[in-house]
Amino acid sequence: MNRHQHDPSCDEALDLLEAYVDGDLSADEVARLRSHLEGCAACAAELELATRIQSELRALPELDCPPEVLEKVRRAGRGEVVPFVPRPRSMGLRIAAAAAMLTLTLGGGALFLRLQAQPDSPSPQEIAQATQEAKIALAYIGKVTRRTSTDLREDVLQKRLIEPAARGVSRSLGGTQQSEKEH
Amino acid sequence: MRKTTILATVLLVLASSAAGWAQKLTDQPGYVPLGQLDLFPQDKLSVEINIEGALLSLIAAGAKQSEPEFSSLIAGLKGITVQAIPLKGVDESMVRTKIGRTVHWLEDRGWKSTMKVRDQGEETYIYLKEVDGKIAGLTLLTLSPGDEAVVINIVGRIDPAQIGRLSQSLNLPHLKQVPAPAPGKKPEKLEKPE
Repeated sequence: MNRHQHDPSCDEALDLLEAYVDGDLSADEVARLRSHLEGCAACAAELELATRIQSELRALPELDCPPEVLEKVRRAGRGEVVPFVPRPRSMGLRIAAAAAMLTLTLGGGALFLRLQAQPDSPSPQEIAQATQEAKIALAYIGKVTRRTSTDLREDVLQKRLIEPAARGVSRSLGGTQQSEKEH
Repeated sequence: MRKTTILATVLLVLASSAAGWAQKLTDQPGYVPLGQLDLFPQDKLSVEINIEGALLSLIAAGAKQSEPEFSSLIAGLKGITVQAIPLKGVDESMVRTKIGRTVHWLEDRGWKSTMKVRDQGEETYIYLKEVDGKIAGLTLLTLSPGDEAVVINIVGRIDPAQIGRLSQSLNLPHLKQVPAPAPGKKPEKLEKPE
């Protein structure tokens, strides 16, 4: 009784099955299909399968669509332009992105400046010459301080730089205390 | 969120380090623009020394084993500038005026006088630039009548006592006689005065 593969009426019946399950067929089509299904076990099995699939699909839980998506769909359906609104990102990610950009910019700029400033590495002769020159600079300081009988020592600094500054601070503090007393 | 904050902090630190790395000599607080101040006529200079940047690091690295104190001093520096002019055949009063002008320039910008000597026409000034309690620059100006005028600007992390010790151990006339080393050879070690 398996007419399913070769019977043209089976093809027509199978085309109608989905609409039948959905209840979308006219009374004539329903009558014709039922008449075929009574005599065709293969198409009847197809109907049973389609019915089972539909009932199992209906048994699945319904998911709620986010209202903003529904609104967009509705507006799109009405032919309105729906603007793209990006999802808000966390503040931390924004800071990290900004810091990364800053690092790249400054790092790249620093590298560029370095490369611009020092196109060539100095040769050993240049380093030796510069070493001598650095010593000449120090020797000049030595010569001057020897000539003036002074020395760049901590005690000289203490006497000439730190103590006067400290005296200046004490004077202003003393002045403040004095004026407070007067009040 | 916490990871992101840490990442952002690290990146910001790296960014500020990069900015510091790129800082030019002219941006350093201890830098004095001797060229702009037009202190000495450039065509009359007998000594002109300009050392900065990577060259100082290389000098420090080269002297690390043989002269550790000199190496540690140089390692903290960003720049050394020396200009010297013989006063024979030069308008000495003009040089004196320009030194006075430079002294005012330094004082206007917060440099502190460490030494001022005026004796029989000779003038010597040493100024230090202090930033956050640390010395970031040293400028020495000196004029010896009939001899020469010298200006020195040392920029960077400075320990004046260390400079004092090292400068006393170096002899200028001897240094002038030291020949430049032959290619590939190490420079001769300087004799220290007794």
